[in-house]
Amino acid sequence: MDSSFLETRQLCKIFAPHQAAAVQALADIDLAIHRGEFAVLSGPSGSGKTTLLNIIGGLDGASSGTVILDGITVTELAEKELSRLRRDHIGFVFQAYNLIPVLTARENIEYVMRLQGRSHEECRRRGEEVAAKLDIGALLDKLPNQLSGGQQQRVAVARAVAGKPKLILADEPTANLDSKSAANLMDMMQQLNEDEGITIVFSSHDPQVISKAKHSIVLRDGKVAANEHLA
Amino acid sequence: MSRVLLRIALASLGRRRSRSLLVVIMIVMSLWGLLAMEGLYDGMTEQVIDNAIRSDSGDISIFADGYRSDPGLHRLIANPAEIAAVLDADRRIKSHVQRLRQDGLIATAHYARNGAILGVDLAAEERHGQLAAYLHKGVYDFGEKRRGALVGSRLAAKMKVKVGDKIVLSAQNRDNEVTALALRITGILKTNNMALDDSAVFIDLAKAREMLMVAEGVSRISILLHDRRQVDAVRQVLQAELPEREVRGWDQLYPALMQGREMMAVFNLITSLLVFCVAALGIFGVVLVSVLERLREFGIMLAIGTTFAEIRAMVFVESFVLGLSGYLGGALLGGLTLLYFSRYGLDLSMFSAGLDAFGMDAVTYALIRPGYFLTALAAVSGATLISVLLPLRVLRKARPIEAINRI
Repeated sequence: MDSSFLETRQLCKIFAPHQAAAVQALADIDLAIHRGEFAVLSGPSGSGKTTLLNIIGGLDGASSGTVILDGITVTELAEKELSRLRRDHIGFVFQAYNLIPVLTARENIEYVMRLQGRSHEECRRRGEEVAAKLDIGALLDKLPNQLSGGQQQRVAVARAVAGKPKLILADEPTANLDSKSAANLMDMMQQLNEDEGITIVFSSHDPQVISKAKHSIVLRDGKVAANEHLA
Repeated sequence: MSRVLLRIALASLGRRRSRSLLVVIMIVMSLWGLLAMEGLYDGMTEQVIDNAIRSDSGDISIFADGYRSDPGLHRLIANPAEIAAVLDADRRIKSHVQRLRQDGLIATAHYARNGAILGVDLAAEERHGQLAAYLHKGVYDFGEKRRGALVGSRLAAKMKVKVGDKIVLSAQNRDNEVTALALRITGILKTNNMALDDSAVFIDLAKAREMLMVAEGVSRISILLHDRRQVDAVRQVLQAELPEREVRGWDQLYPALMQGREMMAVFNLITSLLVFCVAALGIFGVVLVSVLERLREFGIMLAIGTTFAEIRAMVFVESFVLGLSGYLGGALLGGLTLLYFSRYGLDLSMFSAGLDAFGMDAVTYALIRPGYFLTALAAVSGATLISVLLPLRVLRKARPIEAINRI
């Protein structure tokens, strides 16, 4: 495994730093995640899981410290470069699915590939391939509001995977799903991790979901409380 | 811009159908009003100018040197035939007529007023400026013995005379002796050129020569061109060829009309600005609400790799489609309205008394100029562009996660 695929060094995040109500969300986070890992960030609400994922993905800035993704120092990139990084190398799965409401499932899945400039045929073929793996092939022409929560989340995962990113960041992807749908989704993500070799980092506080991961990082009060590779 | 972003832009407009429709209707109505007003106002102005040119000044007039500052029979164009030959040789000139003028007294048994006695050739005037079209009452003829007169409508009203009444014209002849001529009114002219309607009595040119003892020579040669835009060019050429004559364009003879035209251009510009503001505010309101309520959606799009420039282009397409739809609807409606009024005119007879006071016709024919549509397109495009920039500043300042968490 490549030890330098994703690293955070002395990563800190303070919200409203110049105000009396300043909150230290992350404090000196040092992490290393290997290529192809299926890693989980766990911890109680407010422990900093979402903030850490947002900073790793360049959705939010760090107060100090560094994030390095496959040799690229994410924390030093300008907004335009961050956009390109997210488009070409990072897939996101959000707790609230966050599909584009006016696009069908197929168009949502193909969205990132279209931005990447891939051909219509390639987008269509790859979209259907990923949809088949996530068992949503029959739902491709439906709009998000015609899908259940579990189906929407699978479309969101398909969208994140379709662009062949190096890394998928999933923030509480199963939080809004029932336990059966949650287990199904995690199985599918695990399968994608193995089939496509994509590094997946997700956050959760559900023990069942956490148990699927091979690398567990526990955060508490913005600090790493535990960091272990599981068998 | 990627097709998927275009698809989102169009679908977003459809998602807020009634709101989009409202903005389009607002732009359509504003443009309709703008185009109709521009065309009708310009039509009104140009009709006043056209009346003055056809009935009096021509596009260009030639006078004897010093005539305009000191008019009289001692300052006539002595060799009109030679000048006519020069004019006939210029293909830009459509027609020209000769007139003899002397100020005098117009009297009836009960009234007397100062007026202008104009000796004209009615047939030539009809070919030249279609003077007969201004006939209000009576006939366009001086009668068999040419002892008839056509009187300006306002002069006739002031003197309480009608067709068939007798008038006596008195004026100084070339020998500075007072001479008189009794005539019967054969027609009343309403040119809407106040200077003529107020004081002119048109009589036969030969009769005028006889009365004023002017064997040859004329006071003015009025010229019409095929293309009015060539007034300056032709005037300069004629002035160079006829250095002993005063050659004047209609705009120099009627500066107030030229100012009126310029004022109308400013008025139209102000109207365009108003439409611009209405369109801008309409689109701005819709785009602002659309951006603010979709901030989360834009945040997601940014998060998964869409650049700010792509989102800006998408929002611009949305507002451009709104603006263009409004423009096309407004241009179509306005164009059809102008077409109708250019053919059938806008009948303002109920205000004819007021319009007469300004020398305007009771029926106004609209003009249709490509410039109206181009100005309107520029106004709507500008409004579209400006109305997009401000709402997007909200998004530009936010990080993706801030936009996502905004709601």
